[in-house]
Amino acid sequence: MNHDTFFELLFIILIFLTGLWAVIFDPNLVKKVFGLSVLNSSVVILFILEGSRLGENTPILEDGIKNVVDPLPQALMLTAIVIGVCVSAFALALSKHLYHTTGTFNIHEIRRKVHDDN
Amino acid sequence: MNKIWSFIWSFSSVLIAALLIAFLIFDQAPWPSSSRDYTEASSVQDTGAINLVSSIYLGYRAYDTLGETIVLLLGVLGTLGILQIKSNNEPTRQIQKRRTEFLKVASGKLGPIVLVFGLYVMLFGHVSPGGGFQGGVVIASGIVFLAMGTREAVYSPLVNGGFLKKLESLTFFLIVLSALLGLIVNVGFFGNIAPLVNIKPVYFIVMLNVLIGLKVGSSLGLLCLVFLWDEAT
Amino acid sequence: MTLFLLIILFTLSLTVILSKKLITGIIALSAFSLISALLFYVLRAPDVAITEAAVGAGVSTVIYLWTIKGTKEDDSHE
Repeated sequence: MNHDTFFELLFIILIFLTGLWAVIFDPNLVKKVFGLSVLNSSVVILFILEGSRLGENTPILEDGIKNVVDPLPQALMLTAIVIGVCVSAFALALSKHLYHTTGTFNIHEIRRKVHDDN
Repeated sequence: MNKIWSFIWSFSSVLIAALLIAFLIFDQAPWPSSSRDYTEASSVQDTGAINLVSSIYLGYRAYDTLGETIVLLLGVLGTLGILQIKSNNEPTRQIQKRRTEFLKVASGKLGPIVLVFGLYVMLFGHVSPGGGFQGGVVIASGIVFLAMGTREAVYSPLVNGGFLKKLESLTFFLIVLSALLGLIVNVGFFGNIAPLVNIKPVYFIVMLNVLIGLKVGSSLGLLCLVFLWDEAT
Repeated sequence: MTLFLLIILFTLSLTVILSKKLITGIIALSAFSLISALLFYVLRAPDVAITEAAVGAGVSTVIYLWTIKGTKEDDSHE
Protein backbone atom coordinates (compact mmCIF):
# COMPACT_ATOMS: atom_id res chain seq x y z
CA MET A 1 0.00 0.00 0.00
CA ASN A 2 1.45 3.34 -1.02
CA HIS A 3 2.08 5.80 1.71
CA ASP A 4 0.51 8.73 -0.11
CA THR A 5 -2.90 7.04 -0.46
CA PHE A 6 -3.09 5.90 3.16
CA PHE A 7 -4.53 9.17 4.41
CA GLU A 8 -7.11 9.40 1.63
CA LEU A 9 -8.43 5.94 2.42
CA LEU A 10 -8.41 6.77 6.12
CA PHE A 11 -10.62 9.80 5.58
CA ILE A 12 -13.01 7.81 3.43
CA ILE A 13 -13.31 5.25 6.22
CA LEU A 14 -14.04 8.09 8.67
CA ILE A 15 -16.83 9.49 6.48
CA PHE A 16 -18.29 5.97 6.16
CA LEU A 17 -18.26 5.54 9.93
CA THR A 18 -19.96 8.90 10.46
CA GLY A 19 -22.81 7.85 8.22
CA LEU A 20 -23.02 4.43 9.88
CA TRP A 21 -23.13 6.02 13.34
CA ALA A 22 -26.03 8.23 12.31
CA VAL A 23 -28.05 5.34 10.88
CA ILE A 24 -27.69 3.20 13.99
CA PHE A 25 -27.53 5.51 16.98
CA ASP A 26 -29.45 8.71 16.26
CA PRO A 27 -33.03 8.90 17.52
CA ASN A 28 -34.30 11.28 14.86
CA LEU A 29 -35.71 9.66 11.70
CA VAL A 30 -34.53 12.38 9.33
CA LYS A 31 -31.00 12.15 10.72
CA LYS A 32 -31.03 8.46 9.88
CA VAL A 33 -31.85 9.31 6.26
CA PHE A 34 -29.02 11.87 6.28
CA GLY A 35 -26.69 9.13 7.40
CA LEU A 36 -27.90 6.83 4.62
CA SER A 37 -27.12 9.49 2.03
CA VAL A 38 -23.62 10.15 3.46
CA LEU A 39 -22.95 6.38 3.49
CA ASN A 40 -23.90 6.15 -0.19
CA SER A 41 -21.68 9.07 -1.17
CA SER A 42 -18.66 7.67 0.68
CA VAL A 43 -18.78 4.33 -1.14
CA VAL A 44 -19.05 6.13 -4.50
CA ILE A 45 -15.99 8.25 -3.66
CA LEU A 46 -14.04 5.10 -2.70
CA PHE A 47 -14.73 3.37 -6.02
CA ILE A 48 -13.89 6.39 -8.18
CA LEU A 49 -10.70 7.01 -6.19
CA GLU A 50 -9.53 3.43 -6.65
CA GLY A 51 -10.35 3.49 -10.35
CA SER A 52 -8.53 6.75 -11.00
CA ARG A 53 -5.11 5.46 -10.06
CA LEU A 54 -4.69 3.39 -13.22
CA GLY A 55 -4.08 6.18 -15.67
CA GLU A 56 -4.08 9.91 -16.08
CA ASN A 57 -6.55 11.01 -18.77
CA THR A 58 -10.33 11.41 -18.91
CA PRO A 59 -11.95 8.38 -20.60
CA ILE A 60 -13.00 10.17 -23.79
CA LEU A 61 -10.99 8.88 -26.73
CA GLU A 62 -10.33 11.89 -28.88
CA ASP A 63 -7.37 11.87 -31.28
CA GLY A 64 -4.22 10.52 -29.72
CA ILE A 65 -5.26 10.06 -26.11
CA LYS A 66 -3.75 7.02 -24.43
CA ASN A 67 -3.56 5.78 -20.86
CA VAL A 68 -7.06 6.65 -19.68
CA VAL A 69 -8.55 6.21 -16.25
CA ASP A 70 -10.60 3.03 -15.70
CA PRO A 71 -14.13 3.72 -17.07
CA LEU A 72 -15.89 0.71 -15.52
CA PRO A 73 -16.27 2.01 -11.92
CA GLN A 74 -17.61 5.30 -13.28
CA ALA A 75 -20.32 3.53 -15.26
CA LEU A 76 -21.36 1.48 -12.22
CA MET A 77 -21.41 4.49 -9.91
CA LEU A 78 -23.80 6.38 -12.21
CA THR A 79 -26.43 3.76 -11.51
CA ALA A 80 -25.57 3.72 -7.80
CA ILE A 81 -26.11 7.48 -7.37
CA VAL A 82 -29.55 7.48 -8.99
CA ILE A 83 -30.70 4.43 -7.03
CA GLY A 84 -29.41 6.05 -3.83
CA VAL A 85 -31.55 9.13 -4.30
CA CYS A 86 -34.55 6.93 -5.06
CA VAL A 87 -34.13 4.96 -1.81
CA SER A 88 -33.68 8.17 0.19
CA ALA A 89 -36.88 9.59 -1.30
CA PHE A 90 -38.81 6.48 -0.33
CA ALA A 91 -37.42 6.58 3.22
CA LEU A 92 -38.41 10.26 3.49
CA ALA A 93 -41.94 9.46 2.30
CA LEU A 94 -42.25 6.83 5.03
CA SER A 95 -40.98 9.18 7.74
CA LYS A 96 -43.27 12.00 6.57
CA HIS A 97 -46.25 9.64 6.79
CA LEU A 98 -45.15 8.62 10.28
CA TYR A 99 -45.02 12.28 11.24
CA HIS A 100 -48.56 12.86 9.98
CA THR A 101 -49.82 9.88 11.96
CA THR A 102 -48.01 10.32 15.27
CA GLY A 103 -46.76 13.92 15.30
CA THR A 104 -43.06 13.37 16.00
CA PHE A 105 -39.85 12.22 14.36
CA ASN A 106 -38.31 10.67 17.47
CA ILE A 107 -38.27 6.87 17.39
CA HIS A 108 -38.64 6.44 21.16
CA GLU A 109 -41.80 8.52 21.26
CA ILE A 110 -43.23 6.77 18.21
CA ARG A 111 -42.65 3.43 19.91
CA ARG A 112 -44.32 4.67 23.07
CA LYS A 113 -47.34 5.95 21.15
CA VAL A 114 -47.74 2.72 19.22
CA HIS A 115 -47.59 0.69 22.43
CA ASP A 116 -50.08 3.01 24.12
CA ASP A 117 -52.51 2.63 21.26
CA ASN A 118 -52.27 -1.11 21.54
CA MET B 1 -24.78 8.16 33.97
CA ASN B 2 -26.94 6.21 31.58
CA LYS B 3 -26.12 8.68 28.82
CA ILE B 4 -22.37 8.19 29.30
CA TRP B 5 -22.74 4.40 29.18
CA SER B 6 -24.74 4.58 25.97
CA PHE B 7 -22.15 6.91 24.43
CA ILE B 8 -19.28 4.55 25.37
CA TRP B 9 -21.20 1.58 23.99
CA SER B 10 -21.91 3.29 20.67
CA PHE B 11 -18.37 4.61 20.29
CA SER B 12 -16.77 1.21 20.95
CA SER B 13 -19.07 -0.60 18.52
CA VAL B 14 -18.20 1.96 15.83
CA LEU B 15 -14.51 1.39 16.61
CA ILE B 16 -14.94 -2.38 16.16
CA ALA B 17 -16.68 -1.76 12.83
CA ALA B 18 -13.77 0.53 11.87
CA LEU B 19 -11.23 -2.24 12.46
CA LEU B 20 -13.22 -4.68 10.35
CA ILE B 21 -13.60 -2.23 7.49
CA ALA B 22 -9.93 -1.24 7.65
CA PHE B 23 -8.89 -4.82 7.03
CA LEU B 24 -11.05 -4.84 3.91
CA ILE B 25 -9.85 -1.58 2.43
CA PHE B 26 -6.12 -1.59 3.19
CA ASP B 27 -5.52 -4.61 1.03
CA GLN B 28 -2.37 -5.36 -0.92
CA ALA B 29 -3.98 -6.50 -4.19
CA PRO B 30 -3.57 -4.02 -7.06
CA TRP B 31 -6.50 -2.81 -9.15
CA PRO B 32 -6.59 -4.93 -12.33
CA SER B 33 -6.12 -3.13 -15.62
CA SER B 34 -7.41 -5.68 -18.12
CA SER B 35 -10.87 -4.12 -18.52
CA ARG B 36 -9.40 -0.71 -19.19
CA ASP B 37 -7.05 -2.13 -21.85
CA TYR B 38 -9.82 -4.03 -23.61
CA THR B 39 -12.24 -1.08 -23.53
CA GLU B 40 -9.63 1.35 -24.80
CA ALA B 41 -8.64 -0.95 -27.64
CA SER B 42 -11.93 -2.11 -29.07
CA SER B 43 -14.88 -0.06 -27.90
CA VAL B 44 -14.95 2.42 -30.77
CA GLN B 45 -15.31 -0.39 -33.31
CA ASP B 46 -17.94 -2.27 -31.32
CA THR B 47 -20.28 0.54 -30.38
CA GLY B 48 -19.08 3.64 -32.19
CA ALA B 49 -19.18 5.93 -29.16
CA ILE B 50 -16.09 7.92 -28.25
CA ASN B 51 -17.17 8.36 -24.63
CA LEU B 52 -16.03 5.12 -22.98
CA VAL B 53 -18.49 5.38 -20.10
CA SER B 54 -21.41 5.59 -22.55
CA SER B 55 -20.13 2.59 -24.46
CA ILE B 56 -20.02 0.61 -21.22
CA TYR B 57 -23.44 1.33 -19.80
CA LEU B 58 -25.23 1.27 -23.16
CA GLY B 59 -23.17 -1.26 -25.07
CA TYR B 60 -21.45 -3.86 -22.95
CA ARG B 61 -23.59 -3.69 -19.80
CA ALA B 62 -26.96 -2.51 -21.02
CA TYR B 63 -28.76 -5.06 -18.84
CA ASP B 64 -27.70 -3.10 -15.74
CA THR B 65 -29.31 0.00 -17.22
CA LEU B 66 -32.56 -1.88 -17.77
CA GLY B 67 -32.51 -3.02 -14.14
CA GLU B 68 -31.89 0.52 -12.97
CA THR B 69 -34.91 1.84 -14.87
CA ILE B 70 -37.04 -0.85 -13.25
CA VAL B 71 -35.78 0.18 -9.78
CA LEU B 72 -36.66 3.83 -10.51
CA LEU B 73 -40.16 2.80 -11.64
CA LEU B 74 -40.76 0.82 -8.46
CA GLY B 75 -39.37 3.55 -6.23
CA VAL B 76 -41.67 6.21 -7.67
CA LEU B 77 -44.61 3.79 -7.46
CA GLY B 78 -43.94 3.11 -3.78
CA THR B 79 -43.51 6.78 -2.92
CA LEU B 80 -46.74 7.72 -4.70
CA GLY B 81 -48.59 4.95 -2.89
CA ILE B 82 -47.38 6.02 0.54
CA LEU B 83 -47.88 9.74 0.12
CA GLN B 84 -51.43 9.38 -1.13
CA ILE B 85 -52.79 7.70 1.98
CA LYS B 86 -54.96 10.51 3.28
CA SER B 87 -55.36 10.97 7.00
CA ASN B 88 -58.07 13.27 8.38
CA ASN B 89 -58.32 16.84 7.06
CA GLU B 90 -55.25 17.18 4.88
CA PRO B 91 -55.10 20.22 2.62
CA THR B 92 -54.68 19.37 -1.02
CA ARG B 93 -52.54 21.28 -3.51
CA GLN B 94 -51.46 24.05 -1.19
CA ILE B 95 -49.91 26.93 -3.06
CA GLN B 96 -47.91 28.78 -0.48
CA LYS B 97 -48.98 32.32 0.16
CA ARG B 98 -45.46 33.26 1.19
CA ARG B 99 -43.86 32.77 -2.21
CA THR B 100 -42.52 36.10 -3.30
CA GLU B 101 -42.45 37.59 -6.77
CA PHE B 102 -38.67 37.30 -6.81
CA LEU B 103 -38.77 33.54 -6.43
CA LYS B 104 -41.48 33.14 -9.04
CA VAL B 105 -39.75 35.28 -11.65
CA ALA B 106 -36.23 33.93 -11.05
CA SER B 107 -37.06 30.25 -11.06
CA GLY B 108 -39.76 30.53 -13.70
CA LYS B 109 -37.41 32.22 -16.11
CA LEU B 110 -34.53 29.86 -15.35
CA GLY B 111 -36.62 26.75 -15.87
CA PRO B 112 -36.60 26.60 -19.70
CA ILE B 113 -32.85 27.36 -19.80
CA VAL B 114 -32.10 24.39 -17.53
CA LEU B 115 -34.38 22.20 -19.66
CA VAL B 116 -32.50 23.16 -22.83
CA PHE B 117 -29.19 22.41 -21.10
CA GLY B 118 -30.52 19.02 -20.04
CA LEU B 119 -31.56 18.26 -23.61
CA TYR B 120 -28.06 19.19 -24.83
CA VAL B 121 -26.34 17.00 -22.25
CA MET B 122 -28.63 14.11 -23.18
CA LEU B 123 -28.13 14.34 -26.95
CA PHE B 124 -24.33 14.69 -26.96
CA GLY B 125 -23.60 11.82 -24.64
CA HIS B 126 -21.52 9.89 -27.11
CA VAL B 127 -18.84 12.52 -27.85
CA SER B 128 -18.56 14.55 -24.66
CA PRO B 129 -19.32 13.98 -20.97
CA GLY B 130 -23.03 13.38 -20.69
CA GLY B 131 -25.59 10.81 -21.65
CA GLY B 132 -28.88 9.38 -20.52
CA PHE B 133 -28.63 9.54 -16.73
CA GLN B 134 -26.89 12.89 -16.62
CA GLY B 135 -29.34 14.60 -18.98
CA GLY B 136 -32.25 13.00 -17.19
CA VAL B 137 -31.37 14.36 -13.76
CA VAL B 138 -30.75 17.84 -15.21
CA ILE B 139 -34.21 17.68 -16.84
CA ALA B 140 -35.67 16.73 -13.45
CA SER B 141 -34.05 19.82 -11.93
CA GLY B 142 -35.58 21.90 -14.70
CA ILE B 143 -39.02 20.50 -13.89
CA VAL B 144 -38.49 21.49 -10.24
CA PHE B 145 -37.60 25.03 -11.33
CA LEU B 146 -40.76 25.25 -13.43
CA ALA B 147 -42.92 23.93 -10.61
CA MET B 148 -41.66 26.55 -8.18
CA GLY B 149 -42.21 29.37 -10.62
CA THR B 150 -45.69 28.83 -11.97
CA ARG B 151 -48.41 31.33 -11.38
CA GLU B 152 -51.71 30.21 -9.96
CA ALA B 153 -53.57 30.22 -13.25
CA VAL B 154 -50.99 28.92 -15.71
CA TYR B 155 -49.78 25.34 -15.60
CA SER B 156 -47.63 23.92 -18.35
CA PRO B 157 -48.00 20.21 -19.18
CA LEU B 158 -44.51 19.49 -17.82
CA VAL B 159 -45.75 20.27 -14.31
CA ASN B 160 -48.83 18.08 -14.67
CA GLY B 161 -48.55 14.73 -12.86
CA GLY B 162 -50.70 12.87 -15.38
CA PHE B 163 -48.57 13.86 -18.35
CA LEU B 164 -45.35 12.81 -16.60
CA LYS B 165 -46.83 9.43 -15.71
CA LYS B 166 -47.79 8.78 -19.32
CA LEU B 167 -44.37 9.91 -20.59
CA GLU B 168 -42.59 7.62 -18.16
CA SER B 169 -44.69 4.59 -19.13
CA LEU B 170 -44.26 5.27 -22.84
CA THR B 171 -40.46 5.61 -22.69
CA PHE B 172 -40.11 2.53 -20.51
CA PHE B 173 -42.16 0.54 -23.01
CA LEU B 174 -39.95 1.80 -25.86
CA ILE B 175 -36.76 0.82 -23.97
CA VAL B 176 -38.03 -2.74 -23.45
CA LEU B 177 -39.14 -2.89 -27.09
CA SER B 178 -35.73 -1.84 -28.39
CA ALA B 179 -34.12 -4.46 -26.13
CA LEU B 180 -36.34 -7.18 -27.55
CA LEU B 181 -35.76 -6.10 -31.16
CA GLY B 182 -32.26 -7.48 -30.91
CA LEU B 183 -33.70 -10.90 -30.17
CA ILE B 184 -35.90 -10.84 -33.28
CA VAL B 185 -33.17 -9.92 -35.76
CA ASN B 186 -30.62 -12.33 -34.24
CA VAL B 187 -28.02 -10.06 -32.63
CA GLY B 188 -28.84 -11.04 -29.05
CA PHE B 189 -30.72 -9.30 -26.24
CA PHE B 190 -30.00 -5.54 -26.32
CA GLY B 191 -27.74 -6.01 -29.31
CA ASN B 192 -26.87 -3.20 -31.66
CA ILE B 193 -29.42 -3.37 -34.48
CA ALA B 194 -28.03 -0.47 -36.47
CA PRO B 195 -25.69 -2.35 -38.87
CA LEU B 196 -28.69 -4.25 -40.25
CA VAL B 197 -30.50 -1.07 -41.32
CA ASN B 198 -27.28 0.26 -42.91
CA ILE B 199 -26.66 3.15 -40.53
CA LYS B 200 -23.68 3.63 -38.24
CA PRO B 201 -23.88 1.85 -34.88
CA VAL B 202 -23.65 5.12 -32.97
CA TYR B 203 -27.26 6.00 -33.81
CA PHE B 204 -28.51 3.18 -31.60
CA ILE B 205 -26.52 4.69 -28.73
CA VAL B 206 -28.06 8.12 -29.36
CA MET B 207 -31.59 6.71 -29.45
CA LEU B 208 -31.07 4.80 -26.21
CA ASN B 209 -29.60 7.92 -24.59
CA VAL B 210 -32.70 9.95 -25.50
CA LEU B 211 -35.10 7.29 -24.21
CA ILE B 212 -33.25 6.78 -20.94
CA GLY B 213 -32.92 10.52 -20.39
CA LEU B 214 -36.64 11.10 -20.84
CA LYS B 215 -37.48 8.19 -18.54
CA VAL B 216 -35.16 9.24 -15.70
CA GLY B 217 -36.19 12.88 -16.04
CA SER B 218 -39.91 12.22 -15.89
CA SER B 219 -39.50 9.73 -13.01
CA LEU B 220 -37.53 12.06 -10.76
CA GLY B 221 -39.67 15.04 -11.79
CA LEU B 222 -42.82 13.17 -10.78
CA LEU B 223 -41.17 12.27 -7.46
CA CYS B 224 -40.42 15.93 -6.74
CA LEU B 225 -43.90 17.08 -7.72
CA VAL B 226 -45.50 14.53 -5.42
CA PHE B 227 -43.40 15.81 -2.53
CA LEU B 228 -44.26 19.42 -3.30
CA TRP B 229 -47.98 19.16 -3.78
CA ASP B 230 -48.80 16.03 -1.75
CA GLU B 231 -50.81 14.54 -4.55
CA ALA B 232 -50.39 13.70 -8.22
CA THR B 233 -53.20 14.66 -10.52
CA MET C 1 -5.72 18.34 -3.82
CA THR C 2 -7.81 15.22 -3.22
CA LEU C 3 -6.61 14.98 0.38
CA PHE C 4 -7.59 18.62 1.01
CA LEU C 5 -11.08 18.04 -0.44
CA LEU C 6 -11.50 14.87 1.60
CA ILE C 7 -10.71 16.73 4.82
CA ILE C 8 -13.37 19.31 3.94
CA LEU C 9 -15.82 16.47 3.21
CA PHE C 10 -15.15 14.87 6.59
CA THR C 11 -15.80 18.17 8.36
CA LEU C 12 -19.05 18.65 6.46
CA SER C 13 -20.24 15.14 7.27
CA LEU C 14 -19.63 15.79 10.98
CA THR C 15 -21.71 18.97 10.63
CA VAL C 16 -24.54 17.00 9.01
CA ILE C 17 -24.71 14.44 11.79
CA LEU C 18 -23.97 16.50 14.88
CA SER C 19 -26.14 19.56 14.20
CA LYS C 20 -28.97 20.60 16.48
CA LYS C 21 -31.42 21.90 13.90
CA LEU C 22 -32.48 19.87 10.87
CA ILE C 23 -32.15 22.79 8.46
CA THR C 24 -28.42 23.11 9.22
CA GLY C 25 -27.99 19.47 8.32
CA ILE C 26 -29.79 19.90 5.01
CA ILE C 27 -27.61 22.83 3.94
CA ALA C 28 -24.47 20.93 4.97
CA LEU C 29 -25.65 17.93 2.94
CA SER C 30 -26.05 20.14 -0.11
CA ALA C 31 -22.52 21.52 0.38
CA PHE C 32 -21.29 17.92 0.77
CA SER C 33 -22.73 17.07 -2.65
CA LEU C 34 -21.14 20.15 -4.20
CA ILE C 35 -17.63 19.45 -2.85
CA SER C 36 -17.86 15.79 -3.80
CA ALA C 37 -18.84 16.81 -7.36
CA LEU C 38 -15.66 18.93 -7.45
CA LEU C 39 -13.70 15.93 -6.17
CA PHE C 40 -15.07 13.76 -8.97
CA TYR C 41 -13.95 16.33 -11.52
CA VAL C 42 -10.43 16.35 -10.06
CA LEU C 43 -10.35 12.53 -10.18
CA ARG C 44 -11.02 12.60 -13.97
CA ALA C 45 -14.68 11.46 -13.87
CA PRO C 46 -16.84 14.17 -15.52
CA ASP C 47 -19.94 12.02 -16.05
CA VAL C 48 -20.19 11.17 -12.36
CA ALA C 49 -19.55 14.84 -11.50
CA ILE C 50 -22.52 16.05 -13.59
CA THR C 51 -24.80 13.42 -12.09
CA GLU C 52 -23.74 14.08 -8.49
CA ALA C 53 -24.09 17.86 -8.86
CA ALA C 54 -27.56 17.68 -10.43
CA VAL C 55 -28.81 15.04 -7.99
CA GLY C 56 -27.30 16.56 -4.86
CA ALA C 57 -28.29 20.14 -5.46
CA GLY C 58 -31.38 19.75 -7.58
CA VAL C 59 -33.39 16.76 -6.45
CA SER C 60 -32.07 15.54 -3.10
CA THR C 61 -31.92 18.87 -1.25
CA VAL C 62 -35.36 19.85 -2.51
CA ILE C 63 -36.89 16.56 -1.34
CA TYR C 64 -35.39 16.96 2.14
CA LEU C 65 -36.67 20.53 2.42
CA TRP C 66 -40.17 19.55 1.41
CA THR C 67 -40.19 16.77 3.99
CA ILE C 68 -39.56 19.04 6.95
CA LYS C 69 -41.86 21.76 5.60
CA GLY C 70 -44.67 22.32 8.05
CA THR C 71 -43.14 20.33 10.89
CA LYS C 72 -42.11 22.44 13.85
CA GLU C 73 -39.08 20.45 14.88
CA ASP C 74 -35.71 21.36 16.10
CA ASP C 75 -33.39 18.45 16.71
CA SER C 76 -32.96 18.43 20.44
CA HIS C 77 -31.42 15.20 21.56
CA GLU C 78 -33.16 15.07 24.91
